[in-house]
Amino acid sequence: MKLLRRLIESRFWALTVKEIGQILRNKQLIFLLVFPPTIQLLIFGLALNPDVQNLKLGVVDYSNTPMSRELVSALTANGVFRVDRAPPNEQILGEQVRRGEIITGLVIPPTFNRDLKSDHPAEVQVLIDAVDANTAGIASGYAAQIINHFSQQLAPQNQAPIETQVTILYNPGLISSWFIVPGVLGLVLNLGSSLVSTSAIVREKDTGTLEQLLMTPAAAWEIILAKVVPLFVLLLGEVMLAVTVATLVFHVPFRGNFFLFMGFSGLYICVGIGIGFLLATVSRSQQQAILTSFFINLPLIQLSGAIAPIESMPRFFQILSLFNPLRHYVKVVRGVLLKGNGLEVLYPEAIALTAFAVALLAISTYKFRTQLS
Amino acid sequence: MTQKTVTNSQITEVRPTDPAASDDVIRVIGLHKHYDRVAAVQGVDFSVRRGEVFGLIGPDGAGKTTTFHILGGVMEATAGDVQVLGQPPRDARLKIGYLTQQFSLYLDLSIDENLRYVGGLRQVPDRQFSERREKYLRLMNLEKFGDRLAGELSGGMKQKLALCCALVSQPQVLLLDEPTTGVDPVSRREFWDVLAALSSEEGVTIVVATPYLDEAERCNRVALMYDGQIQQIGTPAELRNSLGLHRLEVHTPQLQAAEQVLTTLSESDAIVDVQTFGDRLDVLVSDPQTGESQVRELFRQNHLQADTIELAEPTLENVFVTRLRQQGSAPEFFEFPRSRGGNRNVTTGSSSDFAIYSHNLNRSFGSFRAVKNVNVEVRYGEIFGLLGANGAGKTTTIKMLCGLLPISSGDISLGGERGNLRSSELRRRIGYMSQKFTLYDDLTILQNLEFYSGVYGVPRRLRREKIDWVIATCGLDGRETMLTGQLPGGWKQRVAFGASVMHEPDILFLDEPTSGVDPLARRQFWKLINDFARNGTAVLVTTHYLEEAEQCNRMSFMVAGEIVTEGSPSQIKASQPGQLIEVVIDQTQAASNLLKQQMESWRVSIFADRLHIVLDDPDRDIPIVRSLLKSANLTIHSLRPIPFSLEDAFIGVVQRLAQSATPEEP
Repeated sequence: MKLLRRLIESRFWALTVKEIGQILRNKQLIFLLVFPPTIQLLIFGLALNPDVQNLKLGVVDYSNTPMSRELVSALTANGVFRVDRAPPNEQILGEQVRRGEIITGLVIPPTFNRDLKSDHPAEVQVLIDAVDANTAGIASGYAAQIINHFSQQLAPQNQAPIETQVTILYNPGLISSWFIVPGVLGLVLNLGSSLVSTSAIVREKDTGTLEQLLMTPAAAWEIILAKVVPLFVLLLGEVMLAVTVATLVFHVPFRGNFFLFMGFSGLYICVGIGIGFLLATVSRSQQQAILTSFFINLPLIQLSGAIAPIESMPRFFQILSLFNPLRHYVKVVRGVLLKGNGLEVLYPEAIALTAFAVALLAISTYKFRTQLS
Repeated sequence: MTQKTVTNSQITEVRPTDPAASDDVIRVIGLHKHYDRVAAVQGVDFSVRRGEVFGLIGPDGAGKTTTFHILGGVMEATAGDVQVLGQPPRDARLKIGYLTQQFSLYLDLSIDENLRYVGGLRQVPDRQFSERREKYLRLMNLEKFGDRLAGELSGGMKQKLALCCALVSQPQVLLLDEPTTGVDPVSRREFWDVLAALSSEEGVTIVVATPYLDEAERCNRVALMYDGQIQQIGTPAELRNSLGLHRLEVHTPQLQAAEQVLTTLSESDAIVDVQTFGDRLDVLVSDPQTGESQVRELFRQNHLQADTIELAEPTLENVFVTRLRQQGSAPEFFEFPRSRGGNRNVTTGSSSDFAIYSHNLNRSFGSFRAVKNVNVEVRYGEIFGLLGANGAGKTTTIKMLCGLLPISSGDISLGGERGNLRSSELRRRIGYMSQKFTLYDDLTILQNLEFYSGVYGVPRRLRREKIDWVIATCGLDGRETMLTGQLPGGWKQRVAFGASVMHEPDILFLDEPTSGVDPLARRQFWKLINDFARNGTAVLVTTHYLEEAEQCNRMSFMVAGEIVTEGSPSQIKASQPGQLIEVVIDQTQAASNLLKQQMESWRVSIFADRLHIVLDDPDRDIPIVRSLLKSANLTIHSLRPIPFSLEDAFIGVVQRLAQSATPEEP
């Protein structure tokens, strides 16, 4: 009781009440914390899909026999390829690939059926538009695999000596949004926390009240902490919102401990706010702060593994990414949500994130004190 | 109901088209403007003739800025008819130059780039543009600085550049909303000389709002506005005569006591009003003889000394103050609820301890020396004025003295503290009001006050009382929950002052606290400042209103980062070389133009219907002035030496220095 009274009498309380008053008045801020994260999660989760499907296939079937038609239907059976057109000859097929009307082309020679029957190796030609290298690679892989499988069925005596039995863990349906959505959750929290905290400080600079604030007896840490506390609560709300969208819309499983997850999220919010404050103290105006934040946030996101896997990066960037707090948080989100990891697995991330949070907040408090000079 | 009928009858009066009406450039009939529930302008009628300088004066929040917004076509009227050059304002916009209260310049563009931008925007042909550019830059004395960034100009230069920008498209109408707020006296005079030239030589019609009533004296006609209505309209002389009063200038060393005596003890109605004005009292009396004898009698009874009592015409400021007091809208003075019983430091009486002290203070920004060897000594209970033109280094000095800006070299002590000026213990004893941005616009008035009382550690049980005091002093009862951003500028200043003194500081820094505040509220401000000083607070204040600077105990004039003169107001005035001559003359503008060809232009200035001329050797120079004016067929009504005002002294000091410095510049 006495403690509570002392708190209410304190400068820190006055500062916090002021911050809350300003936040409540700032409808734009509330909007920014609710809509963009939801939209980003939906867009990334729904649209950003590395699976290849419905590739337009052009077929020139000179053979035109039941066997050749079976090959075509084998290719289109799992929805990877879709027959879009059947041009009369290879020249036109080639032209259509060139114009981008179709991605892949299949030419079945007139001798196809005859060769198969006479135990000659039959040949088919596959054309792939490889402007999108990733899609082309996947398409060629699929095509080779399907045609292989098709020929094995025709000649069962050529059975391969090793048979693989793959068990897919954590994401048995291989749903790619389960990978993307937790990553985007980290991305959204990073953007949200750094932008909101930048504007909380830069606004004081822009309106000139910062100077007045520095003349009050309030210490830099009090001013900073009073700004952190309400933002922290708001951003925790943002995390909850994002998790709700992830589980309800994308059916991402939540296998780990909820409180552990919120604890880590709280830690990362401190990191994000630290980044934002640091940006704000080195920027002169809102405009400058936002432009600078692009230079900071985009590399952070790209090197975090939120969207593209870290394993696919060159070694140098893989090492660099260890100094990226977002990488650790994204790993935590995936670990807790999909794998149900606990602290016994994630303690290195816990240590790293704590170190980042402490360092960033300490530096920005120091910078805040000296920024007017 | 009665008010409505009044406005209606005024409308019918204006309607008939008299011959003069064809010459009206601006015509406003029955103008109303409502914001949600608040009525900002309620039934305003006036017209402005071609080439006229028309002044709008009135307290903060009277509806002046709203009227400008509507005249400029930026805002739609709720009701009423507004015609500018025979068109609705929106359609006449290309012929209107509009200067808003904020600097409307691109600070990261140079002077030339700003001008070219406006020229392009307003589709001024190239050849005409370069002609006008040259002409107006020369008129404003800016021609040397063409490639300087607008952000690096002083406040006065910025306003002159903004005026240039408005003039490039050669508008027929100029709308100026408090163009000289925050601009130093030297620049203000130059600015008004330019306006006078524009209206008399080029026939530009000018509507201008100003909180400086000495500027309003230079208008052809003035409208006194309050509560969204025009209460009086006429030439400055008509307004002055409408009072039906005479003014006695009383010079006395015991200003405060005298004012007290004259306001409270006068029983007859011979003395109508008493106002402190600089170093004198203005006593408004209905009859000069009985009034003067009454004043002398009261002085004698109370053992007060009256140096001189002179009879004079009332000023516009007298009109303003008297009319507002008649309306009962003068801000009231409330005793500050002190909980600490004044400043301990004074009662212990160690007078050797300065509250604010600096020795050889320096500050450089790159190669630019903003502050050079500044010495400041302020004791507790003393009001110290730091005066200077825009860009002289006052704000930099203040920021260093209160520890916001590191010093380049020198010694500072603040409240007895030498080393760490940033300790929270020390800052608790300091009040600070920066140039304009002290309050959070996105919080309510009450939230702002609660914040500042909390952050300065005012005990919770005392906060209510202090916040109530600020609200009452500002006359904002019942409007506590209004958003601070919606307050007119002058009111914000009052709340900001309140916010910075609630914790009863021992040391108070006020950086232009009264800029943009109306004359009545300024008086209240100074009453409060004096009250704090009497209770032991050391006050360091900057201001561009030199007549209120008379209330400082001591002051320093800063020019280009250096202190050039210091002392009490009377010492500074007495040390002025030369003599100030007041000439009452018919055509002040013509006379001033003539004299300025013969002497440095700062020596001549127009004050309403008279000229002030600074002469170094009166015996030699007066005959020359007389013959010069006579040769141009200008009739001199009177010519007499008068004492220097602080403003005259300031301008003299600054200009003499500028002149001696010019040869060094290429």
